[in-house]
Amino acid sequence: MTKRSFCDGWARRDFLRVGAAGAFGLNLSMSRILEAAAKGDIDKSKSDINFVFIFLKGGMSTIDTFDMKPEAPSDIRGPFNPIRSNVPGTHVGELIPETAKVMDKFSLVRSFTHRNAGHGPADHYMFTGYHPAAGFNGGLKPNNQHPSMGSVISHKLGPRGPIPPYVCLPNMHNSGSAAYLGAKAAPFTIEADPSSPGFTVPDLQPPLSVDASRVDDRRELLAKVDRFQKSAEARANKGTRELGVFAQRATELMTSKAAKEAFDIHKESPKLRDTYGRTTLGQSCLMARRLVEAGVRCVTVDHSNWDTHFHNFRVLKEDLLPKFDMAIPTFFKDMDDRGLLKKTVVVITGEFGRTPKINKDAGRDHWSRGFTVAIGGGGVQGGRVVGKSDKWAMDPAENPYGPEDLCATVYHLLGINPRSEMHTPDGRPIMLTNNGRLIKELL
Amino acid sequence: MIGRLLKFLCVVLLWVGDLYAKVDFINDVNPLLSRLGCNGSSCHGKAEGQNGFKLSVFSHDPDGDFRALTQESRGRRISPAAPSDSLLLRKITGELGHGGGVRTAKNSKAYNILHDWIKGGIVFKIENRPGLVKVRLEPTREVVSFGATQQLKVLAEYSDGSERDVTWLSIFHSNDTGMARVAEDGRVTIGDVVGQTSVMARYRGKVAVFQAVIPRPGARVTYPPLPTNNFIDTHVDQHLKRLNITPSPIADDATYLRRLYLDISGKLPTPTEAETFLKNTAKDKRSKLVEKLLTRPEFADYWALQWSDLLRVDRLKLGHADAYLYYKWIRESFARNKPVDNIARELLTAEGPLTEQPAGYFYRAANGTGDMASMVSQVFLGVRITCAECHQHPYDRWTQQDYHAMRGFFQQVSTKTLTSGVALLAEGNPVIKHPRTGKLIQPYPLGSTMPEAAPEGDRRRVLAEWMTQPDNPYFAQNIANRLWAHFLGRGIVMPVDDLRETNPPSNPELLDALATHLVKSKFDFKAMIRVITASRTYQLSPTPNATNAEDEQNFSRALFRRLPAEVLMDAVCDVTGVNEKFDGVPRGHRAIQLWDSQVQHYFLKLFGRPARATTCECERVTGATIGQALHLMNSPNLQAKLAHEGGQLKRLTVKHEDDADIVRQLYLSTFSRHPSHDEMDTALQYLGTRRFQRRKAVEDLAWSLMNSLEFIFNH
Repeated sequence: MTKRSFCDGWARRDFLRVGAAGAFGLNLSMSRILEAAAKGDIDKSKSDINFVFIFLKGGMSTIDTFDMKPEAPSDIRGPFNPIRSNVPGTHVGELIPETAKVMDKFSLVRSFTHRNAGHGPADHYMFTGYHPAAGFNGGLKPNNQHPSMGSVISHKLGPRGPIPPYVCLPNMHNSGSAAYLGAKAAPFTIEADPSSPGFTVPDLQPPLSVDASRVDDRRELLAKVDRFQKSAEARANKGTRELGVFAQRATELMTSKAAKEAFDIHKESPKLRDTYGRTTLGQSCLMARRLVEAGVRCVTVDHSNWDTHFHNFRVLKEDLLPKFDMAIPTFFKDMDDRGLLKKTVVVITGEFGRTPKINKDAGRDHWSRGFTVAIGGGGVQGGRVVGKSDKWAMDPAENPYGPEDLCATVYHLLGINPRSEMHTPDGRPIMLTNNGRLIKELL
Repeated sequence: MIGRLLKFLCVVLLWVGDLYAKVDFINDVNPLLSRLGCNGSSCHGKAEGQNGFKLSVFSHDPDGDFRALTQESRGRRISPAAPSDSLLLRKITGELGHGGGVRTAKNSKAYNILHDWIKGGIVFKIENRPGLVKVRLEPTREVVSFGATQQLKVLAEYSDGSERDVTWLSIFHSNDTGMARVAEDGRVTIGDVVGQTSVMARYRGKVAVFQAVIPRPGARVTYPPLPTNNFIDTHVDQHLKRLNITPSPIADDATYLRRLYLDISGKLPTPTEAETFLKNTAKDKRSKLVEKLLTRPEFADYWALQWSDLLRVDRLKLGHADAYLYYKWIRESFARNKPVDNIARELLTAEGPLTEQPAGYFYRAANGTGDMASMVSQVFLGVRITCAECHQHPYDRWTQQDYHAMRGFFQQVSTKTLTSGVALLAEGNPVIKHPRTGKLIQPYPLGSTMPEAAPEGDRRRVLAEWMTQPDNPYFAQNIANRLWAHFLGRGIVMPVDDLRETNPPSNPELLDALATHLVKSKFDFKAMIRVITASRTYQLSPTPNATNAEDEQNFSRALFRRLPAEVLMDAVCDVTGVNEKFDGVPRGHRAIQLWDSQVQHYFLKLFGRPARATTCECERVTGATIGQALHLMNSPNLQAKLAHEGGQLKRLTVKHEDDADIVRQLYLSTFSRHPSHDEMDTALQYLGTRRFQRRKAVEDLAWSLMNSLEFIFNH
């Protein structure tokens, strides 16, 4: 962990920005602003677009995979060689040969950069598009000072039927929550590993010891016992009305065949499950596809541990990249085969990349100044390379993009105006993105 | 410095113009820029401006705005020689392309002012023009009916006693657009919700407020003859009569019992306690119960939990041992019923080794002096000043100077590591400067005037002294309001920690009376609880009548409040007779006794326990989620408690031959009441048809009761 970037004064500037955005508060009656908001916030024609965020926690080494530097000295380029991909002119690392065959399905932003190389704050930055301000504590779960992309999507677009709009696999990342957008925009969390043999979603089904007929009996009994359920009292209180809605949704979710199917990964053919790889990453990606298919708007997959300070090459070769090279290409192919890829934005990234220079432990350390982010689907052109890094992948050489821009691009693709506002409980308006720009080359 | 020089030069160069000027920047042009929306947060008021032209948001920096308009961009924005060619005028009239659209028409009143200002020589301020003293609204409070309209008039008062109608230059804001909408010209249209709401007006950094009282339409109802237990009921009645609403009747004993236990001790009564109370025929049994609960250890547990949220007892931030000492100090304060002013004073003026002065951990929980000032203001005064760190508070009178003056009280605070541990110091004479003007700011409390010099010695003593004076305008009101909100489910001021002129109390007389009572009782917390719980208003039934079903604002009936995470967890454990084991504390430790909000716990997190990242009451989530509903229905942990071999349900099944006894016990433990005849029949029928699986059937009944709104809510 490095503390360097906490001292650069950005926190203050971010605060000022938020403060300035606080110019007009909640319910501002200046009709002009309200009208603008009503007019331009949501583009309904894109309401069928989804978002899958595959987060490689710890920081994937993109210099060994998506942005090789074969010309660099050996203490930078490492032992791996580039290979050709199915996109002429685009080369990737030799350890992801299967991924190389689907490079036409997504694009690479090789000029990604931000200013924080500490795990907690960098994660928050990538999940929310906001660099954390003073007092940030990465260890908190959740640690969100700003809402995650999934929460913003939930808040702005709401659920599609009984299935929740935002689901985290296998657990919620510390920065995956809703901050001031509140419980309604918080993710539905699985808190279980879909690759484990007896995988089920907690609380979605009654405990095994309660058999189906008893479940029905209980529900019937509850309807008789709960004297306030349909009472004047319950109608006259906001809290009871709200819980009523959610209890209803919970029952729908439990009783919805589609939802039950979606979460039941055992319904998938064993062969396809094998192709994804029987790993947390593989099965989470498969689950993400199932959920998107069932109507979830945003799925995040939080996969670790890509923090290869020691034996970077061995760990990549023996552990991480074989899993990656099964899960990711299968996911893209499967999504595409089912016609889902064109309706789903997929982003694959760590919180940063890794130092071009190899350290004394044959590892690579944190590097946020320049790394590569993979983006595909949902209106993003495939097979492109956006920007480029300098000769040793230290910094972007052209067209630098950062987390603000990534968020703005994702929101835009989902039909949400990245310049629209959200409000904190005390009425401060905050922009969806901190002046993020669209990554136009992808569109 | 450069700015001032430029301004000076500008004034000198344009002195000739000054001779003819009738219009100046500070009095005429700057308010117009606000009115026309130029310095809005989505336009030129953004931190980075718009298209290279940046104005300060709310015009908090008139010097900078003047400079931006007259000098930056090579002076193109203003053409003194040919005023109508000025970029400013051509943009706002749409003559040239303008991202912000047409703001005003050529030759409009606004246009002419700007034109005259340019023609008159772009004067910053005409000397000897009287200064703005205050802004007031006419009318200030009015009873208005559904759909009515009301034109507001904003009057500016000047230092020479003169007054000017500035309505057309003011910005209006409705606190609740459903209750009242306000147009740009200050015309208010009332909606169709009963209650009261406010509309504020802002002109040149000063604010004023109009309060609309909106009665229920239709014939006046006869007010029922209800007892008036104390001054609270008098004030509530007065207000309800104004609104043409009648209160619900007084709640029955069982409802009162459950409510009181949950509110005072964060715990359900046991079946025995419930039965004893229900059987008791003494007239004063309700007040006796209050006394009993106030002496229970759970009282201190529960109130320490709530104040640990506000004062941010955070293990990750403070460390384990220190966070615990801090918590102990808070709990002790409530256990000993320390007067609230003493709590505030001890905390504010803590000094020396922290292990001996654990109140001082407050300063370590804060992130710097700005945070200390904001936390103290928000927790003890109910005033949010954070906005004013960077600009004039948009809805309040607080300026950047006020904010930094409050910060100044904490500038002396530092910590020193001694062999015996960390000590808190407050010494030296650090100075604080205005972040924009660079002028020295001496510390002074909110709403006072700046003294010549900083106070001698520990400055915090001055702040503590001011804060706890009986006539302090915020302290007693804030504490009274917080307590009231806890017991009634809603503050008289909402949100509870946002007291300000433009967010007036729903019942000002009631809040005043409560604050006065608090001061008179020497800030005795328990005395306040006694008076609130003794009122008829607290004891009302939650069942609405024809007049108050829509009213959640005026205390005409009891509100449903979801049990806080910890209280609900404990209630589940009590009903099932199976404790929860939390990390880091022995088994048997109740959730409301957890001092550490960071203990990993799915249930507590799911039901909205705060992480204590802020001093905002709003951090505790009381709303519902699908996850909560699913968890209560399906959680294996809850099922395990229901089916536990050492649990209450098994005990009941073994102990009672007669199903009716089990049903009675379960109703007492979950709802603190006896079942009705129908309820008994339903339950007996369910159990009776499942004789061969009696224990499972009892589990099912308990499950149903615990998934009912009646269990999950305090009502």
